[in-house]
Amino acid sequence: MVNFTIEEVRALMDKPTNVRNMSVIAHVDHGKSTLTDSLLSKAGIISAAKAGDARATDTRADEQERGITIKSTAISLYGNLTDDEDLKDIVGQKTDGRDFLINLIDSPGHVDFSSEVTAALRVTDGALVVVDTIEGVCVQTETVLRQALGERIKPVVIINKVDRALLELQVSKEDLYQSFSRTIESVNVVISTYFDKSLGDVQVYPYKGTIAFGSGLHGWAFTVRQFAQRYAKKFGVDRNKMMERLWGDNYFNPHTKKWTTKGTHEGKQLERAFNQFILDPIFKIFNAIMNFKKDEIPGLLEKLNIKLQPDDKEKEGKQLLKVVMRTFLPAADALLEMMILHLPSPVTAQKYRAETLYEGPPDDEACIGIRDCDPKAPLMLYVSKMVPTSDKGRFYAFGRVFAGTVRSGLKVRIQGPNYTPGKKDDLFIKAIQRTVLMMGGKVDPIDDVPAGNILGLVGIDQFLLKSGTLTTSDTAHNLKVMKFSVSPVVRRSVEVKNAQDLPKLVEGLKRLSKSDPCVLTLISESGEHIVAGAGELHLEICLKDLEEDHAGVPLRISDPTVNYRETVTAKSSMTALSKSPNKHNRLYMVAEPLDEEVSKEIEGGRIGPRDDFKARARILADDFGWDVTDARKIWCFGPDTNGANLLVDQTKAVQYLNEIKDSVVSGFQWASREGPVAEEPMRSCRFNIMDVTLHADAIHRGGGQLIPTARRVLYAAALLAEPGLLEPVFLVEIQVPESAMGGVYGVLTRRRGHVFNEEQRPGTPLFTIKAYLPVMESFGFNADLRSHTSGQAFPQSVFDHWQILPGGSPIDGTSKVGQIVQAIRKKKGIKVEVPGYENYYDKL
Amino acid sequence: MTTQPVAPPVLSTPDTHIFEDPTPVVIPTREAKLSDTETREVYEIERTVREIVEGGWQRIALQFPDGMLVDAPRVFSELERELSTREEQKSLATENENGNTTRTRLYILADTSYGSCCVDEIAAEHVDAQVVVHYGRACLSPTARLPVIYVFTSRPLRGDDVVGAFESSFGQEDEGKGDKVVIMADLTYHSHVNPLVERLRENGWKNVRSTEVIHDPTSSIPNRKIIWGDTEFVDEKGLREWKIWHISDPPSALLLTLSSRIKELIIYPTNSATTTSTQAVKANTATALRRRYALLTRLTTTPVIGILINTISVANYMSSISSLQKLISAAGKKSYTFVVGKVNAAKMANFGEVGGWVVIGCWESSLVEGGDFYAPVVTPFELGLALQADGERVWSGEWRGDFDGVLSASEKVVKSEVKPEEKEDKKSKRIEVEGNLDDEEESAPPEFDLRTGRYVSHSRPMRTAAPLSASQPSTVNQAEPTPTSQSLTRRAKLDVATVNGAVSPGAEFLRSQRTWTGLGSDFVEEGAAEAGTIEEGRSGVARGYTVGEGERT
Repeated sequence: MVNFTIEEVRALMDKPTNVRNMSVIAHVDHGKSTLTDSLLSKAGIISAAKAGDARATDTRADEQERGITIKSTAISLYGNLTDDEDLKDIVGQKTDGRDFLINLIDSPGHVDFSSEVTAALRVTDGALVVVDTIEGVCVQTETVLRQALGERIKPVVIINKVDRALLELQVSKEDLYQSFSRTIESVNVVISTYFDKSLGDVQVYPYKGTIAFGSGLHGWAFTVRQFAQRYAKKFGVDRNKMMERLWGDNYFNPHTKKWTTKGTHEGKQLERAFNQFILDPIFKIFNAIMNFKKDEIPGLLEKLNIKLQPDDKEKEGKQLLKVVMRTFLPAADALLEMMILHLPSPVTAQKYRAETLYEGPPDDEACIGIRDCDPKAPLMLYVSKMVPTSDKGRFYAFGRVFAGTVRSGLKVRIQGPNYTPGKKDDLFIKAIQRTVLMMGGKVDPIDDVPAGNILGLVGIDQFLLKSGTLTTSDTAHNLKVMKFSVSPVVRRSVEVKNAQDLPKLVEGLKRLSKSDPCVLTLISESGEHIVAGAGELHLEICLKDLEEDHAGVPLRISDPTVNYRETVTAKSSMTALSKSPNKHNRLYMVAEPLDEEVSKEIEGGRIGPRDDFKARARILADDFGWDVTDARKIWCFGPDTNGANLLVDQTKAVQYLNEIKDSVVSGFQWASREGPVAEEPMRSCRFNIMDVTLHADAIHRGGGQLIPTARRVLYAAALLAEPGLLEPVFLVEIQVPESAMGGVYGVLTRRRGHVFNEEQRPGTPLFTIKAYLPVMESFGFNADLRSHTSGQAFPQSVFDHWQILPGGSPIDGTSKVGQIVQAIRKKKGIKVEVPGYENYYDKL
Repeated sequence: MTTQPVAPPVLSTPDTHIFEDPTPVVIPTREAKLSDTETREVYEIERTVREIVEGGWQRIALQFPDGMLVDAPRVFSELERELSTREEQKSLATENENGNTTRTRLYILADTSYGSCCVDEIAAEHVDAQVVVHYGRACLSPTARLPVIYVFTSRPLRGDDVVGAFESSFGQEDEGKGDKVVIMADLTYHSHVNPLVERLRENGWKNVRSTEVIHDPTSSIPNRKIIWGDTEFVDEKGLREWKIWHISDPPSALLLTLSSRIKELIIYPTNSATTTSTQAVKANTATALRRRYALLTRLTTTPVIGILINTISVANYMSSISSLQKLISAAGKKSYTFVVGKVNAAKMANFGEVGGWVVIGCWESSLVEGGDFYAPVVTPFELGLALQADGERVWSGEWRGDFDGVLSASEKVVKSEVKPEEKEDKKSKRIEVEGNLDDEEESAPPEFDLRTGRYVSHSRPMRTAAPLSASQPSTVNQAEPTPTSQSLTRRAKLDVATVNGAVSPGAEFLRSQRTWTGLGSDFVEEGAAEAGTIEEGRSGVARGYTVGEGERT
């Protein structure tokens, strides 16, 4: 901490209007961490010379080694506006003085770590989207942008790596402009697709100053606003007017000395204002320095008002270029200014975010506290992830105060993700030991933190697995649980080489599961310790952490596998009937497939068991064509009471039906957790209870009679409905030059891949191929692809959907699918053949 | 489709369910009826009678497994005939000394309450029997009350086939002949072991050992002793180098017990109809053991554990129940004890609040397998593991079915757990003092459920109860000096039953998990439904209701 002290930070925290919480998001390798460096150097945390190489927010050794970010890292910066005039440009929100506190989170770009991005987005209000000039908007850019907008987070954009376009591609000014505007166009397409009324129009435009251009590596960046400022005086026009003129089809006609929107003057092509006034000086500098025109340089520098340090003057070539550009257009200034001017303060943001953040009613004290960002309201704090401390096995709970003030020693209610108001599940009471400020790899203790700020908490890590809500209000509901865009679909089993090490493995698995927002550790039905992650890379990192750090014992790790889901593909061929063990109760059921859209809505959390049943019925009826009475009579979701299988009551006038509901629901949870085909979870099945006959005496229709019966009838109904096996499928986006496309197609075809989109990036020889690839076939895909395209193809895979495993019925042991099923059953140690429906079906 | 039952329902277990026994017991199916001489041989009538007479027992209970009940009358009559002839001889001899000779009475015990491997002492006590003759395969667990005559009902085996299968399973080449093999058989085939070993020795298998039946399920091979000969003796560790060649399918409990103690188990199946093509197969217990591990880890976070009694004849089962109860409460969990007779899924699913079951049975019947149970069912040994802290649990593949061995371990655990609890007591008391300012004390952290990878709160509901009850006396003392306090005190909330100040987990389950709370509770939920007028419903008893005016349905 060089430029400012904890006390100064603390003082700024009290002015939530002058706080900016933002995350840096982008596709992998578009230069987030590098850009962040230049901001840190401004704050004095790292030296300017090292900025761009240090990647200070990559605190882990393997992050530095591999050159990718794995964990998101938060850091607090101090920013100020030089001129009171600038404050006037902050539209739509109040400010208090020229000093600002910027809480910045650098997030990973690789898809496998998207969950880190989600966790970062939750605690921020704005996002700096980094886009590579050459690669443009990629799959991950789109994914994170979509997530950001879903969380109602306002984006600003920086187009990065402009230096590459100048140095490597040697593009002309107009080409560069076109490339910029194409990129901006595609960003805006994504933004407008996910338009949210309460957030307003958040499309980005250079003339509004919401887009910056620059090079993180060289440490320079600019916005149109900065140039407008320079030229405003010269032309004697208003700065904002100037900004508009410096982008788009605006030209300065040197002959008439007038601004025009026509690109020609007397048949001659005019130079676009952007090119003439902004790109031209930059091109000149590049040209002069890179072509070693030493005599031109001093004049140029003088003209542009750039003063170099004496020892910098000795440099030449790229080194000199870096220094000159950094002095001319310091990246930190441009970015800080853009963030301060255009990103919302917590006060502004929480006004429209409150309703999407909070699960409870919009008019209770907690929600009002969030809406007003009130430091005196009851505490509402969301812990979005856990950050390991130097003390092994302990974690900082990293989160954001949305309302109230948190201080050391405060006794809080810790509400886990499954907490429901009024119940005791997942509710703990505990005093916070310490509050800290997260500064990259380091922490600094702080006494208290008011609403609107990001912080770390000590002493509550044992109560929350990954995330949760902290509050002081007895009536507060949860802050909404985060929905991740990735799912842990790739799994590997681990076992200790030495049986005595098992406790260490178990402890390690617990820690691993805490340290990553997405990873899942569990014991499978067959007794193996499973680690499930979003992709191969994610798992590799997790297992490395597990073996070397969390567990610290030698492990045997299996090959990656996927887990399947059981489903049905048709309506049951007849009504399934099962009788209870005492033969006095009968359940009649029919299984049918659930629409894929409905399943996706359920998995996305938009339709859920906690919704009001009438509202839910309305959505199902209006959007998915359900019968309203059916939709109102959804008994439950399963497995785990929130999965994408439904139990629907279609009976008419059955006596005692409500009495047996709990038992049938229990049976349903059980059956949907372990399906009939391979004891894998079911997905996308809808079960209709057609009729029920019950014994008149309560003792004969208890849980003992009905739970097993419900399970049997569900199995019978599913087996009668042409069961199928679902496998997870990745969406793969591959960037590849045309010459290597043949190799890509070859590899994809061999792995059951299916290309559905192929586009050339305008102005480049690069093609973007989008394909679906079964996760099962994706193991080793990257290496395979690299070897077949001599390393020219760069794939990004993210879980997209489930698809029916082709190759026959899973019940038929001779089909390909049947054999897979038998292999699963064998591994689980259960009877190899799938039992027929007769095992569960009783004759009348 | 609503079909009203036409006939009045039968309120007894249907016939088809009588022989449904969840414990997989090898029920011998005899193709042909035994001749009288065979019966005498198989059921060892002579030996039985001799032992009865020697013991001087007068009331004898005969216990048959379900599969052998067909032979019961003939065995009964044979025994009776033999006994009466003996008695006649005896009475002739002793006529002068004692006039009142009471006739020996025999009883056949039907419908054994628990597994057929155990001696049903309770049924035997109903007839006031002095001895039980147990037929068929037995678990040989020590009994608590009555002496037992075991008749293993030896079954035929073709020696040549067995020798052939043995040799082929080790390779007929000479190099295999040095293998260290112990031959062992299911009790019903045990008589063939010694002859087989003799023949194999003749064939040049030097390191083949036979076994002898002993009544000790806790020995390194349950109920068997290896006859080592004079020169060598091998302890449990040395046993790891030996393979066991087992005649007939062993019960799964034996399979799991042996799997960690020996090098390899090879099974010679006997139940297949084809006699010649039988091949000995290597037993694969790894998957079975792993499944047990998965099952027991489900119990680590369940708040309520049911102790299921599956025997009342095995010695010291009472003490094991109490030590299990201690073990469970030391882990801060709640235990309930159940006696349900024969275990089946339907009975146990009646208790939804129970998250897992531990079965107290003989060493074979503690292991209740089958996927139809709503909650996991484990053995006492496995429970012992499950209740260990995650930081201590070691799963080496060692497995035992008996509870005797667990007791000593459990006592250790209980002792070691007392200390940390005391510490915790002090700690929580201190917190309470602080916490008096706010009304709620700090909660215990949740537990990580290894099965699902989630946190589970309230997995140890009874842990919070203990300190409360401990602190109660002190508060009473404090209250005494000011008995005339006029201030209002809030009455404790008695929503549900409490145990030592903590909410009973069973009652809590009913309160929070059940949606059905009686008539009318569904009315609010449905909401929109209009209230209707009251109509006359059905009346009468379950065997036939009347609706309105005498119309029967």
